[in-house]
Order: sequence, then structure tokens, then C-alpha cells
Amino acid sequence: MTDHPPRAFEPRILGFLCNWCSYTGADLAGTARLRYPPNLRAVRVPCSGRVAPELILRAFDHGADGVLVLGCHIGECHYDNGNHRTAKRLPVVRALMSFAGLEPDRLRLDWVSASEGERFARIVEEFTETVRRLGPCTWRAGSPAAPAFASWSSVGAAPERPGGGG
Amino acid sequence: MSHTASIQAKARELLETGAVACVIGYEIGPRGRARPVFVESPEGASRLVWNQACTHNLAAYLPARLRPGKKGEPARPVGVVVKACDSRAINVLLAENQFAREQVHVIGVVCPGILEGAGQRSIPDEASPGEGPLQARCLRCAERTPVVSDTLIGEPFAAPPATLEEDPLDRLSGLGAEERLAYWLEQFDRCLRCYACRQACPMCNCPTCLFERDDSTWLGMGIGLSEKRAFHLGRAYHLAGRCVGCNECERACPMNIPISHLNRMLAREIETAFGYRAGLAPVPGPLVTVLDRGEGRP
Repeated sequence: MTDHPPRAFEPRILGFLCNWCSYTGADLAGTARLRYPPNLRAVRVPCSGRVAPELILRAFDHGADGVLVLGCHIGECHYDNGNHRTAKRLPVVRALMSFAGLEPDRLRLDWVSASEGERFARIVEEFTETVRRLGPCTWRAGSPAAPAFASWSSVGAAPERPGGGG
Repeated sequence: MSHTASIQAKARELLETGAVACVIGYEIGPRGRARPVFVESPEGASRLVWNQACTHNLAAYLPARLRPGKKGEPARPVGVVVKACDSRAINVLLAENQFAREQVHVIGVVCPGILEGAGQRSIPDEASPGEGPLQARCLRCAERTPVVSDTLIGEPFAAPPATLEEDPLDRLSGLGAEERLAYWLEQFDRCLRCYACRQACPMCNCPTCLFERDDSTWLGMGIGLSEKRAFHLGRAYHLAGRCVGCNECERACPMNIPISHLNRMLAREIETAFGYRAGLAPVPGPLVTVLDRGEGRP
């Protein structure tokens, strides 16, 4: 029997692709036979504005190493301004998750139009490399790589209260 | 005239003329602690008090109280006693069309700051200014005068400069990602999912909370650590650009989870990104509006 070398880390990436632009862009990348990493699991959503932060949280809670949100360019949204909301919200989600201990680079928002198959392949390639460099995600509670609880109670915990509750 | 007497006089007048159906204010409970009270008759107005233990954000009662009836008839107006922070909550609720401006008579009180431990222990009336330190949020507070009021009680004064020497938020932000992850996991591990934070919050007024649906396929109601974290982070996100920093969630939390760190971090983030502070005017927050010309592209 031969010893197998330890398997290299392959990031699991969840992609939320807008139905009207990015998913079609991904389709174009496919029909144009462009190569891009197979790490991306694509989820088709009606609009990038549909990508609620809870979905992103759930992806990371279930072991995603990176989440990629792709939508139409600003001004090209099928629903006129769905992607405006994404553009405003995603940086906030990123800041929040980064504050809670996620590397912010694991969440990326970008725009891909239906004619940009090449751009789609390039973004997936770039993002996969970024996440590969970051290594396995430690976000998931109880994941093998998650840090043990340290005693951080001294760091800005809520002050002790006098008296009982209620 | 003391603040208590002014509030009582105003409440009595409003109830006698029938301008409002009810005045929501503070009273002293049987164990000497300030607590919310709903006064519905002029005689009851003498129960109202004001002191430095009046910590509750009474704006939290307004959306349910002012919801239209089954046939769509508007609810009768309500008077409410607010501090400066609570008055910002009223502005946010007005911006979200929870009720109409004329449905609420705002009795604004110029606030000297609320004492630490208010709501938990008895604090004697206004005459003897309460001993003990102010709550951290009050030490940070720069606006002591309500931003919206129909009746203003007390003389506006310039807020004393912030006296907090160190902000735990800065210490937290200075940590590495791993350390912050461990810190927050430890904090959220204590959560019981009692939803006290949500109940105390004036902005948490969804008829059905997204995090308390047993038919949800993508949000857990359980008490697993990641579900609790998703609840807290999700709630913090829902309050982004809406939270006025009254810190009632943190005060209501039986497990001392420092929820306000999340809310304040997001408030800071929104202010840097959009130059917007929640509640200063009744206008919708930046996360529900479209991009301005040339505004932040990723």
C-alpha cells in the first residue's frame, strides 16, 4: 500500500449569482469553454439584492471557506435598483463579520454582466486563490480549526451589575 | 417646578382634554424601582415620576400601541415620556412609518444621564440626585436634549464632555481575527435565546421575528452556538443604520452579553461610510435607499 500525501486544501466557495447577469455570464464562460476553478458552488438567485446577510452567515456556518456575491453592474439591474442595496449592504455585512472574527477577504462582492464570461472566470480564479491563501475557515463553531475559548472576559465585557435581575 | 411635577401636570392636561388616550411614563414600583407605566385617566397622572433611574426606552411600546385596528381605523394618540436617546428612536420609527407624527405627543425630558444599575435597584426620587456612576452610554452621550418633542421639560444644557477614558470597542477592534472570533464565541455561548434584547428594543418591531420562526429552512431557532451567533449578528445587522444606542438590549440581557459593541461598531461603520446617524431626523436610513450619484462602488 502506498502512502497518500496529505490532501491539499481545496477551498469550498459558495457563489450567489444573479439570474439576469452573473449566472448568464457564468453560462457564457461555460459555452466559451473558459477554464475556472471547480471550487465554486453556484446558487442562482433572482437578484443580488436577494442575498440576505443571513444566507451569507449560514453559508459560513455550514463550512464555506468563502462567499462570492455577483450581481449586475450598477445601472443594469433587471429590477432597476436591487444591486444598489447590495452595494450598500455587503460592505456593512463584511464589517460586521470581520468584527466577529472572520477575515473580511472571505466575502467578496463584484459585478459581472451577461456578456462578461471572461471576467467571471477571472473573478472566480482570483477569489479562489485569495481564499486558498487564507486557508481553511475557522468561523464555524466547533470546526476542527476553530480556536478554543480563551478568557477574553476582561476585554470589554458588559459591566457587572449591582443587585439581582428583574 | 420639578421635572416630576411638570410631567404630571402635562399628563393630567393631556388626559383631561382627551388629546391622548394614554400617557406612557415612569412610576416607582412597589420595590422602589422605576418602571414603565401606562396612565389612562387624569387621576393616574400622579403616579408619574422622573428621576435618574428612568432607564427604559418607552418608545419601544409605541409601534404595538399605535398599530391600526382590525378595520384599519387609526389608533388614538398616545403621550410618551422620552429622554434624548429615546427621542431618536421615535424619529427612526417615524421614518419607517410605524405611526404618524400626530399620533404621538412627545414629552421630552432634558436628561442628566441615567445611573448605573437603574431598573435593577431602587433609586430615590429626584430631590436627592442619585449617587453612583452614570451608565457608560450616558458618559458617551453628547445630546442631552430630545431631538423631537411637543413638550420640553427642563432647561437644555451643553452636554459635559465624554468622560470615558477608554472605549472597549477600540480594544476589540485592535485584536486579531482569531482573538475576536474566540471572544465573540465565548460571549454568544452564554446566550439563552430568551429574546429579552429583542423585546426591549424599539426597532425590533417585526410582527413575526425572522429568528423565531419554526418553519424557517435557513435560520435555526435552536441554541447551538452557531445559531445563537447567527441570531445576534443578524439582529445587529437588522439594526444597522437604525440603532440609536439606547443600550436597552444590553441592559435587558440576563447573561451580560455585550451586545452594544456590535451595534456601536455598525453605527460607527454607517457614519463613516454614509455620514448618517440614526434618529437625528425622521428620514430613512442609508441601507434602504438607492445609491446617490457616484456613491461608493465596491
